[in-house]
Amino acid sequence: MSSQLNNKLTEMRERMSFHSDVCIREITLGATEIKGAIVFVNGLADRDLIDLHILKALMTLRQDCAPLTKSYVMERVLTISQLSEVPNIEETVAKVLMGATAILIDGIPEILLAGTTKNKSRNIEEPISEALVRGPRMGFNECLSDNTAMLRRHGENDSMVFMSMQVGSRAKKDLVIAYMKGIAEPELVEEVAARICKINIDNLPESGYVEQLIEDDFLSPFPQIQSTERPDRVIGAMMEGRVAILLDGTPFALIAPVTFSMLLQSPEDYYERWLAGSLLRLLRFFAAMIALLTPAMYISFISFHPGLIPTKLAISIVGSRIGVPFSSLIEALIMEVAIEILREAGLRLPKPIGPAMGIVGGLIIGEAAVQAGIVSPILVIVVAVTAISSFSIPQYSAGIALRMLRFGAMFCAAAFGLYGVVLFVLLLSAHVCRIKSFGVPYASPGAPYRLGDWKDFFVRAPIFMMRKRPEMMHQESKRRQKNE
Amino acid sequence: MRRRKVDHKRWITGCMATLILFLQTGCWSKDEIEDLSIYVGMALDLPYETVLERKMDQLGSDYRKRNHISFTLQIVDKQSEAKSGDTKDDPTSKPYLNISETGDSLFEMIREFATRLERPVIGHHLKVIVINEALSRRYSMNNLLSFMLRDNDIRLNCLVMMSSGTARKVMEAKGNSIIPSFRLNGMVDNRYRTLKIIPPVSLSKLESQMNAHASYLLQNVIAVNGEVKLSGAAVILGKTQKFIGRLSEEELLGTIWLTGEGKGGVVKSYDPKTKQVITYELKSMKSKIKSRVVGGKISFHVSIESDGRLIEEWMEGNETIDDEFIIRSEKATSKEVQRLIKLGLNKIQNRYKTDVVGFGSRLSIEHPKVWKQVKENWDETFSQVPITYDVKLNISETGSKQGH
Repeated sequence: MSSQLNNKLTEMRERMSFHSDVCIREITLGATEIKGAIVFVNGLADRDLIDLHILKALMTLRQDCAPLTKSYVMERVLTISQLSEVPNIEETVAKVLMGATAILIDGIPEILLAGTTKNKSRNIEEPISEALVRGPRMGFNECLSDNTAMLRRHGENDSMVFMSMQVGSRAKKDLVIAYMKGIAEPELVEEVAARICKINIDNLPESGYVEQLIEDDFLSPFPQIQSTERPDRVIGAMMEGRVAILLDGTPFALIAPVTFSMLLQSPEDYYERWLAGSLLRLLRFFAAMIALLTPAMYISFISFHPGLIPTKLAISIVGSRIGVPFSSLIEALIMEVAIEILREAGLRLPKPIGPAMGIVGGLIIGEAAVQAGIVSPILVIVVAVTAISSFSIPQYSAGIALRMLRFGAMFCAAAFGLYGVVLFVLLLSAHVCRIKSFGVPYASPGAPYRLGDWKDFFVRAPIFMMRKRPEMMHQESKRRQKNE
Repeated sequence: MRRRKVDHKRWITGCMATLILFLQTGCWSKDEIEDLSIYVGMALDLPYETVLERKMDQLGSDYRKRNHISFTLQIVDKQSEAKSGDTKDDPTSKPYLNISETGDSLFEMIREFATRLERPVIGHHLKVIVINEALSRRYSMNNLLSFMLRDNDIRLNCLVMMSSGTARKVMEAKGNSIIPSFRLNGMVDNRYRTLKIIPPVSLSKLESQMNAHASYLLQNVIAVNGEVKLSGAAVILGKTQKFIGRLSEEELLGTIWLTGEGKGGVVKSYDPKTKQVITYELKSMKSKIKSRVVGGKISFHVSIESDGRLIEEWMEGNETIDDEFIIRSEKATSKEVQRLIKLGLNKIQNRYKTDVVGFGSRLSIEHPKVWKQVKENWDETFSQVPITYDVKLNISETGSKQGH
């Protein structure tokens, strides 16, 4: 009998010989003199749990318990909630490496597996990339079960469905597709699940991988799936009939489908009163335009259409541009690239140096460049306004899209003036109208035109007026509020 | 993962369409703003070659032309070599540059500047055109402004003014901080302070008057030693579109009262009893022209109403202003207004025989049939029409002086 235990232990030892963090502890079960062993991974498994509820329970068995049966151990000895039995060693090894504790007892052919995985996760903190003045201060963390719990905790809701999947062929990771049953269109959920099933990759380090592998158009500069750290945003999207995808190991959840206007919306729009929310949202649309087109406008005014500038401004621009050796395009490119570099550098710098860097970059380089006659002061204003406007876009990824497109607009402006800018905007609009995110047109509800959804587009209508969910999502249940 | 299948045919057609779009360009003259000369003012004068031009002619500058007009452009000069490198204005040099040519075609002359200036001139920012009155007596507005109206750079909101002196002199300023064209442009905005400035006449307004063969007034500017004054107005005869005479400042005041277009200003009169100054500041002015046709005979009546305050009086003993004095002042003031109207009306009706006030348009509204008969020869007819007027002035307050 004892040889059976030894056999198993030897096999386990062999299989895990390269895993230096595996602990195998051989014990004698209390007064019964039966041999046993537990196997766990140091650091992954919860030591307290093992000590108190496995080791203590097993090692204080009285003599009259012998001979031990599997059911006796499971039902009466181990005071642990997650307990299962595994027939073969292969599976045991896989589970042990994820934090479970294997319990081997002489005389019991099956191996018992206790769920002792210790979830070492961060505390729930405020999301860094999406700070709000008003709204929950909760952000997702890296632990999937914490994240799903956060969604559950939002409110008693039996229609919230979590569809669990495993992705990654070599490093298997848990992924959850979350949606509201009865709201989300079933075809949409199917499509999302189907696309995720098709993912065939050895490793998924972050939800960005999922995003890039399931998005509709990989050439488009616009993000077609929204990523967010905020549970309230995810809940809001699910309540509109969208689907959320949560991946273990990243605080960024994905939301699909996405429309362009969502990238310029902030949860705060809904939390503030409707007038403030609407105005702020309009302001953001305006800022997006500025962020995209101001340098292009500058170039086309300076190089092509001096007549469109008010006379006095034109004269002061002339005055300020004397001695600038470059054409407006080169000048603007120098400054724009400089500010992009500054921005990138500021992101990577340790926190205490970051702001100092901003000051050095912004003030000193700008001032010095003007003094040295490399750029004109007007351009410094243009670049500064552009940079500030692009910071007001609530979604980092949308901001990146506009930052890239800005350069395209600048080249068009340098080639054909305002005509080029108009062409650029036309092409861009055509592109935005063409792409779809999981079957939903990206530019909706603008194009295709759905007046009903305009209540939550450029402006945010008073909440009592938004009785229906956005139509573009084809939900199963349309009404949010009952008629009185 | 879904990959879009790239349809090569569609891809190429798309690219072609885009490329063709880029070829459909209007004007894409790329020129950095600092490489252009922005001209803001124009002056048209009788042919008088400058010393510089004469010297150039002696050196062989010559092409086939008749010397009809002297043409001066005012360029905002921020870019001269002396100023480069410093964004601040150099106090030792003038912020503008006047450059003149003499010839017969304005456009030829403007292109002639390309042979004389480093940076080509552009007209987007042209603010004011000043025309010498003697030149305008010789040539019609149609001809003088032909280029300005046809050129698509020049904006139609550019103002047109006349000068009884040399127009080139109007384009000069004494100090080193004034751009004369801007000064003129700004002075026109002072209409709420004085009645001596007529509503500004832009190129677009002038064009419509010109095409309607209507008579109109243009602000007259005089210049002495680099300073200017808006003084009186030039009368352009509808039929010929040429200058036929000038209204003095007082005559102009009279016509302004008739049109009721004043925005603010003063009427100074003398108290008949004490012979002292009484000054009335008008707050509002209204005039209503009524046409009457009795038995084919046209006549007009103008009722003028104005509301204002007594702003200055030269009474000897600091007496309180009583109702009697107010009534006296109102009377004196309205008498003064009537005097001005009489002066103005006499000039336009009898001397120049031009309807610059707009009696014709009232008639065309109120009696369109009659208007059709007299339309052709309206300025002639106008000179024979009896015009009556009454002036109602109301002094509604006497300012903030304590104890009246």
